[in-house]
Amino acid sequence: MIAVIPVRDGVAPAGADEAIGEANGEAVFIGSRADVAAKDLTDYGVRFWTIEAELEPHAVAIDVAHALSTLGRTDSIVLPASPDGRDLAPHIAHRLGRTLFAGAITISDERVSVSVRGGLAIADHQPSGPFVATLQLGVRGSERDERETIIEALSSIIASSGVVSSAASVSSAVRSDGVLPPDVSTMDLAEAPRILGGGAGLSDGPAFDLLGRVAVALQASMGVTRVITDRGWASHERQIGTTGVVVDPDLYISFGVSGAVQHTSGLGQPEHIISVNTDAHCPMMQMSDLAIVSDANEVLRELASRLAVERS
Amino acid sequence: MTITVCIKWVLPNRDGDERFAGISLADQAAVETGLSVAEALNDTCTVVTVGPPAAEASLRDALACGAHDVVRIDGSADTDSAETARLLAEHCVHSRFIVCGDYSADRGSGSVPALIAARLERGQALGLIDVRIVGESLSVVRRLDGGRREKLSIVGPAVISVEGSVARLRRASLRATLAAGEAHINVITNDGSGALRRNPETVPPRPYRPRARVVPSPSGSSALDRVRQITDTSSSKGHGETVVLSPEDAASRILESLRAWGYLADSAT
Amino acid sequence: MMTSPTQHDADIIVVGAGPAGSCAAIAAARAGKSVILIERGPFPGSKNMYGGVVYPRILDELVPSWWETMPVQRWVVKRSTMLLSDSGALNIDFRANSWGAPPYNGATAYRPDFDNWLANHAVEAGARLVCSTTVTGLLRDSNGRIQGVSTDRPDGDLHAPIVIACDGVNSFLAKQSGLYPHTDASNFTLGVKETLALPKHVIDERFGVRDNLGVDIEILGGTSGVNGGGFIYTNLDTIALGVVLKLPKLAAQQKRPEQIIAELKRHPAIAPLIEGAEVKEYSAHVIPEAGLDMMPTMVADGMLVAGDAAAMCLAAGIWLEGVNFAMASGMYAGQAAAEAIAKNDVSSRGLSGYTDRLEKSFVLRDHRKLRKVPHLVLSDRVQHKYPAFVAGVVERVFRVDNPHPKPGVRRIVREERKKAGIGLLDLLRDGWTGMRGFG
Ligand SMILES: Cc1cc2nc3c(=O)[nH]c(=O)nc-3n(C[C@H](O)[C@H](O)[C@H](O)COP(=O)(O)OP(=O)(O)OC[C@H]3O[C@@H](n4cnc5c(N)ncnc54)[C@H](O)[C@@H]3O)c2cc1C
Ligand SMILES: Cc1cc2nc3c(=O)[nH]c(=O)nc-3n(C[C@H](O)[C@H](O)[C@H](O)COP(=O)(O)OP(=O)(O)OC[C@H]3O[C@@H](n4cnc5c(N)ncnc54)[C@H](O)[C@@H]3O)c2cc1C
Ligand SMILES: Nc1ncnc2c1ncn2[C@@H]1O[C@H](COP(=O)(O)O)[C@@H](O)[C@H]1O
Repeated sequence: MIAVIPVRDGVAPAGADEAIGEANGEAVFIGSRADVAAKDLTDYGVRFWTIEAELEPHAVAIDVAHALSTLGRTDSIVLPASPDGRDLAPHIAHRLGRTLFAGAITISDERVSVSVRGGLAIADHQPSGPFVATLQLGVRGSERDERETIIEALSSIIASSGVVSSAASVSSAVRSDGVLPPDVSTMDLAEAPRILGGGAGLSDGPAFDLLGRVAVALQASMGVTRVITDRGWASHERQIGTTGVVVDPDLYISFGVSGAVQHTSGLGQPEHIISVNTDAHCPMMQMSDLAIVSDANEVLRELASRLAVERS
Repeated sequence: MTITVCIKWVLPNRDGDERFAGISLADQAAVETGLSVAEALNDTCTVVTVGPPAAEASLRDALACGAHDVVRIDGSADTDSAETARLLAEHCVHSRFIVCGDYSADRGSGSVPALIAARLERGQALGLIDVRIVGESLSVVRRLDGGRREKLSIVGPAVISVEGSVARLRRASLRATLAAGEAHINVITNDGSGALRRNPETVPPRPYRPRARVVPSPSGSSALDRVRQITDTSSSKGHGETVVLSPEDAASRILESLRAWGYLADSAT
Repeated sequence: MMTSPTQHDADIIVVGAGPAGSCAAIAAARAGKSVILIERGPFPGSKNMYGGVVYPRILDELVPSWWETMPVQRWVVKRSTMLLSDSGALNIDFRANSWGAPPYNGATAYRPDFDNWLANHAVEAGARLVCSTTVTGLLRDSNGRIQGVSTDRPDGDLHAPIVIACDGVNSFLAKQSGLYPHTDASNFTLGVKETLALPKHVIDERFGVRDNLGVDIEILGGTSGVNGGGFIYTNLDTIALGVVLKLPKLAAQQKRPEQIIAELKRHPAIAPLIEGAEVKEYSAHVIPEAGLDMMPTMVADGMLVAGDAAAMCLAAGIWLEGVNFAMASGMYAGQAAAEAIAKNDVSSRGLSGYTDRLEKSFVLRDHRKLRKVPHLVLSDRVQHKYPAFVAGVVERVFRVDNPHPKPGVRRIVREERKKAGIGLLDLLRDGWTGMRGFG
């Protein structure tokens, strides 16, 4: 098995390490400044090839097909199921005439298990030949590979020859106007590395508004308990828990959250938790690294003035 | 050139109860996007599905909402992605924009739109979270990982797929709903045989269970340290500190901790 | 009154695809009239709840051999009435195996299945069903004559010479049309129900039934001092357990209905039946309880009211029937409406075939007969004193208190009656009302 890692401006997508691990340390990096991304991930691999190219799906499929035949590889291909991986894998599968298994949770030559029905069930497949698969992010985990990593640059055939007729016209139909940096206030909570959570302890709308602003000032995203969504102060995508979003931030700071199991079960395993609550003994305080008994509304007001957050 | 919207009619579970079946939020958003783009560009909007007769209920809903035409390509809901894409692609050859949902509710591979683009050698912009019509083209934002987004301009012909939050499907008028109930639905049957390639599934799906995750090997110098590292939970959680503080002190303490943990390195204060 | 069909969307608009609405639509469509059936839920029955037993014999007229296709959970072959005191219970069982074969008697069924099935018959008969659409008002012409309905959809007005309101209890349409003066809380009870999951074989064993045969238990007492009653019905692999509570009493007691259900579930006579069951669903709904005394005027110019919308529900303690009354009244309304269209007179006189039919059938006869029964069954005496009295008597009659000799039954009755604080005259009077009502 060999991994294909799409690269944007020297950055490999989330889940690249896991895909490389699944492919036993062998990977083709393709995209802009692919070599930079490859060097970043040498801890996880043994043999990397890089192709400097634009991330245009049709062209990438041709390049990957060409690279693999040059390398004499006919084995299966795995990509991370990141947005770019999701978009490229079907093109590669189509180009190579192979079956595509999208959103797999385990991948081997004998068996591919794919999650279906929105993650409620697993379908097992027995591939009849080499295939293309995307590996869901975070399902595998990754281990360092102590072995030396060899990196070799391959040339893009798109750049060197005119094999592709359609790719150029295709790319004119869709033009990239650039990549926007992460924006904590609109970021998908599930991806947010830092979250400020608000619960019923926030007494009123203005206090709750402060939560969002302080969050932005701390480069964090805002999450809430169901009590808050029930109050209509935040939309459902902001609700953390069993009936909301499952998150996995590094940092979670809660304000007036009691820590009901329906909430904490969606919290993942934050590296650091701070809680502000008037009740020292509620579950949220029990699971915090720093539990501060204080009025959450006042503390937010104080933090806002320290961080010079504008109040509208 | 028309706008074609692809929707997938999905049963809620395997021994499906058709009363609860329908299209996903993303597909609803696709229908709305298709309709608004068609209106803005003064074009027609066709809604297509590969599915069984019961899927016609969703097509009728689309008609009631204003689709100019609907087509059902006869096939099981289990038809595999590549085959689905082939059937849809044949139907969309002349479309300027092919609008899909980003994931279907059952299989949810998110691969059909890209497979259509691959077949038709069209441009693609998938997983859109914002679609705006600017003159004759679309200005869209697509989700990348790590919270980044990509802005794109699309003149077409292209395949796009949208997330459910992009648009809310309009409510059909009563008259249109009544009319759609009686409308004729075009059905395309395949190759006479009707036998489409199914998902290459060998056994029925089983309940989801996460796979065992690989854990980095411990790096302590003695065996005891290494064992501790993987078994000891006491080091991190459950031994937090509880303090009673005034709001001012609480704020100071929070910022202090954040700085100590390295979260404030890159911001002021 | 003349009708001008050209500007109408249909001859008849039926509001609500519950049992009443679907039967109205079937009857009218069968009579060759054009019918639009409007339902607010995504499909008929999707939002409807009830206890769990239907008595569908009235369908003989509309759906021949209905038992062959009706989505049934279990056929009821055993009916019990349970009198609960704080710690004891008296059970009166009746079992009829003939109820387990065509033409059957009662059946447990899920409303989303049953209502949907019935509505499909309306569609097959030619009615046009529109779901996910809520009727928001009546349309009237300048003379105040009903012209149709408005809905919550864009461009949502529909015109027809006759509207049949089958929109259930608290009928908004009946109220809007001024037909319904009774909105006093004392006329309503609150029904609350839990659906409890248990494996089929466990249900079979605990209730003494097998295959698709089932049990219907009505309960008097055990509602934590709030006047009302309870019920337990067996489905294939769930049990419906619920209570019906007088609204004013409920408010006065300041108890939450879920508390009352929880206490009922803990009663020593009930707990073993449901042990280990998992709560799958909790729902609540208002029931018009006062019977005949609160029925609205059911006919107006261009409008008929049927089913719960016309308060045609019999909630008389050990009877909890509504679906059968709804189906029957719906059917009669549909027939009368079709008749009125045919004779081109949609005034209340032209529609009076409806009340005639109701009077002749079980619908009003049962209600007339049981007129005083709901009040009796829900009276404080029956509710709070009789169960303890009866259970006390029975407990003492059966108690073996050696070395004391058994006391005479008459003495026990007298002592227990006094202990329960029931006057002899009251007992006799209630007995008389009960005999007349039930007898
Ligand atoms: C089926 C089901 C699904 C559910 N799903 C979810 C879910 O997905 N997500 C979710 O969040 N919940 C969910 N819930 C609800 C959940 O059980 C809790 O009710 C909810 O999480 C509690 O939210 P809370 O902590 O904001 O409120 P509370 O539990 O009311 O806690 C408020 C906290 O604020 C503290 N407080 C009060 N005043 C102050 C003050 N001035 N300063 C500081 N602290 C103060 C209190 O001490 C208390 O600890 C679900 C419940 C059910 C039954
Ligand atoms: C707890 C409880 C237990 C019961 N147990 C039993 C029992 O065991 N057996 C029995 O026979 N009866 C029972 N009943 C009574 C029975 O449920 C009713 O009598 C029966 O459902 C009445 O039928 P209906 O068609 O008149 O009204 P409903 O069943 O209430 O149907 C009304 C329909 O109209 C629709 N609707 C309402 N408003 C609008 C609107 N504005 N626009 C469009 N559509 C609208 C509703 O969605 C619904 O589908 C019970 C009731 C309760 C509450
Ligand atoms: N059978 C189908 N008929 C029409 N469109 C489909 C079908 N299957 C998938 N699609 C489209 O492709 C999108 C992604 O589906 P999937 O690749 O199955 O996750 C859906 O949201 C639809 O827009």
